[in-house]
Amino acid sequence: MAEILVFSEKDDLAFELVSKGRELGAALNVGVAAALLGEGAGARSDEYFAYGADRVYVAHHPALAHFHAEAFAEALYQIAQKNDAQVLLLASTKRGKELSPRVAQKLGAGCVTDATAVEVQDGNLLVSRYALGGNTVASEFIKTPHKVIAVMPKTFELGAKEARQGEVVTVDLDLKEPRTRIVERREKAGEAVNLEEAEVLVCIGRGLEKKQDLGIIEELARALGAEIGCTKTLCSDYQWLSEDRLVGLSGKKTSPGLVISVGISGQIQYTVGIRGARIAVAINKDGQAPIFALSDYGIVGDLYQVVPKLVEALRAA
Amino acid sequence: MNIVVCLKQIPDLQQIRIKDRRPLLEGAPLIFGDMDKSALEEAVRIKEKAKGTKVTALAMGGAKLKDGIKEALAIGADEAVLLMDPPFAGSDTMGTARALAKAIEKLGEHDLILCGEGSTDNYSGQVGPRLAELLDLPQITYVRELEIEGNKLKAVRNMEESFEVVETELPALVTVADEINQPRLASLRDILKAARKPVQEWTAADLGLSEDEVGAKGSAIETVSNLAPEQERKQVVFKGDLDEVTENLINALTKEGVLGR
Amino acid sequence: MGDCTDKMDVIVVGAGLAGLSTAYFLADAGLDVLVVERGDFPGSKNVTGGRIYLNPVRDLFPDLWEQAPLERHVTRERLTMMARESATTVELQSERFNRQPYHSYTILRAKFDRWFADRVAEKGAFLIPKNKVDDLVFEGGRVAGIVADGDEIHADVVVAADGILSLMAEKAGLREKQQPRHFAVSMKEVIELPRQTIEDRFNLEGDQGLAQLFFGELTQGMMGGGFLYTNLESISLGLVVGVESLMERDPLQEVHPLMEAFKERPEIRVLLEGGEVVEYSAHVITEGGIHAMPKLFSDGMLVVGDAAGLGLNMLMTIRGMEYALASGAMAAQAIQRAKEKGDFSASTLAYYEELLKDSFVLKDMHTFRHALNILENPRLFNLYPQVVCDLFEKLMWIDSGPKEGLFSIVFGEVRSKLLSFSVLRDVLSFCKM
Ligand SMILES: Cc1cc2nc3c(=O)[nH]c(=O)nc-3n(C[C@H](O)[C@H](O)[C@H](O)COP(=O)(O)OP(=O)(O)OC[C@H]3O[C@@H](n4cnc5c(N)ncnc54)[C@H](O)[C@@H]3O)c2cc1C
Ligand SMILES: Cc1cc2nc3c(=O)[nH]c(=O)nc-3n(C[C@H](O)[C@H](O)[C@H](O)COP(=O)(O)OP(=O)(O)OC[C@H]3O[C@@H](n4cnc5c(N)ncnc54)[C@H](O)[C@@H]3O)c2cc1C
Ligand SMILES: Nc1ncnc2c1ncn2[C@@H]1O[C@H](COP(=O)(O)O)[C@@H](O)[C@H]1O
Repeated sequence: MAEILVFSEKDDLAFELVSKGRELGAALNVGVAAALLGEGAGARSDEYFAYGADRVYVAHHPALAHFHAEAFAEALYQIAQKNDAQVLLLASTKRGKELSPRVAQKLGAGCVTDATAVEVQDGNLLVSRYALGGNTVASEFIKTPHKVIAVMPKTFELGAKEARQGEVVTVDLDLKEPRTRIVERREKAGEAVNLEEAEVLVCIGRGLEKKQDLGIIEELARALGAEIGCTKTLCSDYQWLSEDRLVGLSGKKTSPGLVISVGISGQIQYTVGIRGARIAVAINKDGQAPIFALSDYGIVGDLYQVVPKLVEALRAA
Repeated sequence: MNIVVCLKQIPDLQQIRIKDRRPLLEGAPLIFGDMDKSALEEAVRIKEKAKGTKVTALAMGGAKLKDGIKEALAIGADEAVLLMDPPFAGSDTMGTARALAKAIEKLGEHDLILCGEGSTDNYSGQVGPRLAELLDLPQITYVRELEIEGNKLKAVRNMEESFEVVETELPALVTVADEINQPRLASLRDILKAARKPVQEWTAADLGLSEDEVGAKGSAIETVSNLAPEQERKQVVFKGDLDEVTENLINALTKEGVLGR
Repeated sequence: MGDCTDKMDVIVVGAGLAGLSTAYFLADAGLDVLVVERGDFPGSKNVTGGRIYLNPVRDLFPDLWEQAPLERHVTRERLTMMARESATTVELQSERFNRQPYHSYTILRAKFDRWFADRVAEKGAFLIPKNKVDDLVFEGGRVAGIVADGDEIHADVVVAADGILSLMAEKAGLREKQQPRHFAVSMKEVIELPRQTIEDRFNLEGDQGLAQLFFGELTQGMMGGGFLYTNLESISLGLVVGVESLMERDPLQEVHPLMEAFKERPEIRVLLEGGEVVEYSAHVITEGGIHAMPKLFSDGMLVVGDAAGLGLNMLMTIRGMEYALASGAMAAQAIQRAKEKGDFSASTLAYYEELLKDSFVLKDMHTFRHALNILENPRLFNLYPQVVCDLFEKLMWIDSGPKEGLFSIVFGEVRSKLLSFSVLRDVLSFCKM
């Protein structure tokens, strides 16, 4: 195993992987390299070195002008093959998650996506991820010589930057024009939210009848000094809130001191996102809703009555 | 046009019980995942618009598929292929993709392969892209809107910061997000009619696969443990008078030290 | 299967034991059978205490019982009379009950029905869960099919196996408005415990099981009682209370608090310790006996199992499963005969009732025709259990002074509490049971 190869289309996430890659590399006695692909690739090479990369592979190619999984997978494959990289660490963003299995298939490699921990055990990598929709956490070894791991963003701490030098290798790739074309990109209006860091979180679900009613949730959040999160339906289907606010298996895994789940049934794909909360509270009109069993405190009642009352009481307190 | 929809039968996650941190799957009924059902619904909608479209439901799994697949046929698949054979048991995403790819090749001409963005239990999102690689197809993932005209495919993808509109030519592989549609429920009559639709069962040997290429043996992943995290919630529930319950809650939260900053 | 979308031979509404049994035999005979069940899967909505007695139905299903997922064979029977602060239990432990073939087993319907349904499907019946039948189709006054979610499906015969509140029997006009006194409501919990714990706690060896019935204080004088059955790795615990008794209370008595109190009884609490409630259900139960039965057939329709009112509360035990299985088998027989004749009118289908009359099903219903009247006697649920316990307590108690003679205790209790005309009448009426 000559080296660990890191890639993310987002440099900041790649830095997290490089930091961790260095730790893993030290244990496995291999170096860490990063692949920088596409438009503007190589501009931040120095930072890659500062976080611990020994080498970066910079590839400019018309096929890499935009992110197409097909072309990016082929590029990573060629780089990995040429440099005998056996472990690929990617960030499990949506792009990273669709890219990893495709590279893995090219390499004949086993792959774990949405990894939540990676550690060295008996000279092998033990990878954790959520399984059974979030009910369980599986720990897995990848048995093939090549291993592709897509790690959830923010899983690893960003290491301290050091003044280090590294090697910039410009690579020539033999790539075909991707068969997909991006014809339009509609940016989502999103404010920067950082649910992972929130101390108090108010999450709202399908119990909310219409977008205008978000007002009462905002008031509760204000009274508590909380951030607002939501379930999938509200951001993916209705688009009432930005996807940055999605809590759960396909969204953020949060660990606030307090989370209040309002009008949320408590399906596993959501609750996995609040498992880290110290105190969990539920407000739901259905006393049988599973969320109550997953909460420390609960109020059975209509959110349209309970939430305003709670706001009032919080203000008075 | 020939569409193949890949569906995975999974235990109903709401019905899984955890005991001593271990999931008990035995009693949980088997269902198709949400996104897989959306993939099927989308295929049926395409068929309803484009005459001469054939939808094949393809699923690898255990013996209960025979019964479960009726739902897919009732919703509108024209035929089904089931990969049910002991050697398939324990396949990881690599083995699954390998078997599905062989089956799709055996089926012959295909224009569109539809998968879920992720299976509801595993949610690894791997099988779709792996299949695309094996079948040498372009892949379009996380699709929330899909349009097909003749040979052209146009899709809207739901990415983190944007909706991305992508085009390609068929054949292609698409994975769908569950917001793409609301899958219909099959009526009793549809289910009865589905009984007459052809269902083929293929074994590993039928696909020219040896026992080392699929199942636990052909798997790249070795699961060391699979446990539920330890978690105890207090489960105190307040009901009744509104003033009282809010007061109770605020008192409790104050005591826990999570209120008031 | 033929062109079944247009017409089936038989549609069975409800995949409980009665419906599954009907379908089992009809599919075996090669008929096109559709079973429609509203639950997520067969067994998901079915509540039984419960225990099944195999002797009455053993020979009906020669291939079935060997493999069936039954729980424990019952070797110990307990009857507990509960007073306010004490309880007296009579126990039978019988080697006869411990000899093959075992006469009675505990059973969990969620497991059993699902398994039975697979056997029925193997025979070729078409089973569709998650669908509710809303109505019947009538043609020229005869039942000719069902309506589910707006779809009409036709059949030569519709079998109402839809349980105690049978909407089908009502729609077909076979049943009169039911009286509250003909029903009881029940709650039941399945509480999981390790196998070894159950065997230790109840003194059971291997797959031996225990059945325990309770009456007295737990229903607070209302008609009803409680039950406890040991399964392989769980306990079924439940409570039954007559609807009329509940309605007579002011304010209306809810069952849930009774169940909670029952579980908190010291006698019960220790038995459940460390257990986890894994299943929870509420269900209606028939108490009406033969007087509450609907008409059993009409043109194009038969009624089986609980839908036909074929259930009995015999005080010592609630029975319904064997009746459900047997009535299903007999309905199938009658339908096969009708099919041979090509005539599905009431006069041909009447054969079903003849079969029932000749069998244990209607004979039992007749024998226990007075059960409800006897059970409606409140002294059974307040006076007698209290007297028995008080007497026993007095016999066992040693006070600081000299002890009263035993006979004098007994005599005193009997004279003060039991010497009345109504008690004499009770004794006579119990003789009818
Ligand atoms: C692979 C996969 C990944 C997924 N990932 C995620 C994820 O990351 N995050 C996520 O959230 N979901 C995710 N989901 C979806 C998830 O399964 C559920 O569908 C979703 O969490 C349900 O959201 P909900 O609780 O808001 O809605 P519902 O389940 O519809 O619940 C609404 C609740 O509101 C209550 N209610 C209604 N009206 C009121 C009122 N007036 N007052 C009080 N209560 C009221 C109801 O009683 C009900 O309990 C995923 C699904 C899949 C298949
Ligand atoms: C608490 C309790 C304890 C009992 N204990 C015992 C015992 O120990 N021993 C014993 O022998 N008996 C016992 N019984 C009685 C026994 O459970 C019943 O007699 C038996 O279940 C009757 O079977 P069935 O098939 O007629 O009805 P059910 O098992 O009630 O089945 C009816 C089926 O029809 C379905 N259905 C209803 N309406 C529709 C519709 N419109 N469309 C589609 N499907 C429909 C229901 O979902 C259900 O699955 C007990 C009953 C109770 C409630
Ligand atoms: N056993 C299977 N049979 C058929 N399709 C499958 C199977 N497993 C996965 N798929 C398809 O691949 C998608 C992604 O699955 P996964 O990689 O497990 O997240 C699913 O949504 C299905 O469309």
